[in-house]
Amino acid sequence: MPAPHPVGLNIVVLDPAHGGTDLGARGTEGIHESDVVLQFTAAIRRALEAQGLQVLTTRDGNENPSFDDRSARANAQRGAIFITLHIGSTGLAGTARVYVVPEIPPSTADMTGLIPWDRAQGPFQELSRKLGDSVQVEFAKRFKGSPSTVQVAPVRQLRTTAAPAIAVEISSVSVAERAELDRMIPGVAESIARGVVAFRPTYVIPSFPTPAGVGQP
Amino acid sequence: MIARWHLWVGGILLVAVVAAALYFPALRKRVDSAAQLTEKTAEQARRELLPAAAPSSGETMTKVKMFWGSNAGDGTLTPVTIELPLAKDPVLRARQVINTLLAGPVNPDARTLPPEAALLAFYILPDGTGIADFSEAMATSIPSGIQSEQRAVDSIARTLEADVPQVTRLKILIHGQEVDTLAGHIDLTQTFRVNTKAGTMAPLAAASSSVPVPAVPANKAAAVVAKDPASSTVKR
Repeated sequence: MPAPHPVGLNIVVLDPAHGGTDLGARGTEGIHESDVVLQFTAAIRRALEAQGLQVLTTRDGNENPSFDDRSARANAQRGAIFITLHIGSTGLAGTARVYVVPEIPPSTADMTGLIPWDRAQGPFQELSRKLGDSVQVEFAKRFKGSPSTVQVAPVRQLRTTAAPAIAVEISSVSVAERAELDRMIPGVAESIARGVVAFRPTYVIPSFPTPAGVGQP
Repeated sequence: MIARWHLWVGGILLVAVVAAALYFPALRKRVDSAAQLTEKTAEQARRELLPAAAPSSGETMTKVKMFWGSNAGDGTLTPVTIELPLAKDPVLRARQVINTLLAGPVNPDARTLPPEAALLAFYILPDGTGIADFSEAMATSIPSGIQSEQRAVDSIARTLEADVPQVTRLKILIHGQEVDTLAGHIDLTQTFRVNTKAGTMAPLAAASSSVPVPAVPANKAAAVVAKDPASSTVKR
């Protein structure tokens, strides 16, 4: 098996979920997930850029790119990580959780150096978990009641992303007033920035086994 | 000069108009009352056809574990043991426990599935995969979010694991169709492992639908990862 390519983290792709006609979770106070995540994204972007990281977003306004288009934003980069942002309908108010996908079994196509689109996350799962743990530790420090370790859930958006990828879900749109969520924004942004910086030295793009006789110079 | 038969026709028409004018209000009342009687939604009608646990001959009261939400509000589930007149047939049994989940616990906060949803069909494939087909309300009425959608799937899978051991995997359909996600987050294109020894549901990948593509040497892989939706692959 060839040695891993020592390529560091170059770009963070932030994905504010939903948008357009898809409002996402809706609270009783007229809070829309698709709207609130844009504010979180702007703050996270500033915190990451302050750490010298380049940031791309999957949307900046009220568009609703498809799951594949969002993943493609990260898949088109080398040395990227992907963070999809959500505000849930449930959970303890004022907490934040990080999710990674469950184990994706390898396929024979992986041996060709081409990863099937619908399981692009497969080779990056270990890195995703490390990234998730780094961010979740920071959330647990700042937001009482948040879990101390990363959660596992088959989040659709993550499966087609060929990069270390996590989903962040903040609780929740059911808060009594929007200000409660707004107060979380600086802490969430700082937690993610710190988690990404802590993860940065461990980011080495995984290599893929080459079938015998293929690709030898 | 007006013909005699013209007068007859005109008279008959006049009588008909007067009769219709008298009858119309009564007809309207009858239509309104009939509409009230049939105002039940399709979902309600389906649920009546599929009672949570209809006792019949051959069914005995059995203790079953239902996984509803815990009081912690953190997305975890708590097993609640109840007694149901449960069928021996695994398909009927699965329908009964899922319909009981849909009916919900005593505490509405512990509910994991939307009350508007209905189980349209359930069957078990020879490999042990249980196919649960829900009405549209399952997707449209569930609280949107990773945690809430995951909790819904977990509650079905863990209840089946506890009460219908013949089911080894779970596939969820919405109105007979495979859908991308439950309500925008949790992936429903794959099957969920019902055997949850590890505690968290892990979906098993379905057979890859990707089209085989020529191998690219890993050591000459493109620096840029490109999406090729046509071949459903990520090129490295």
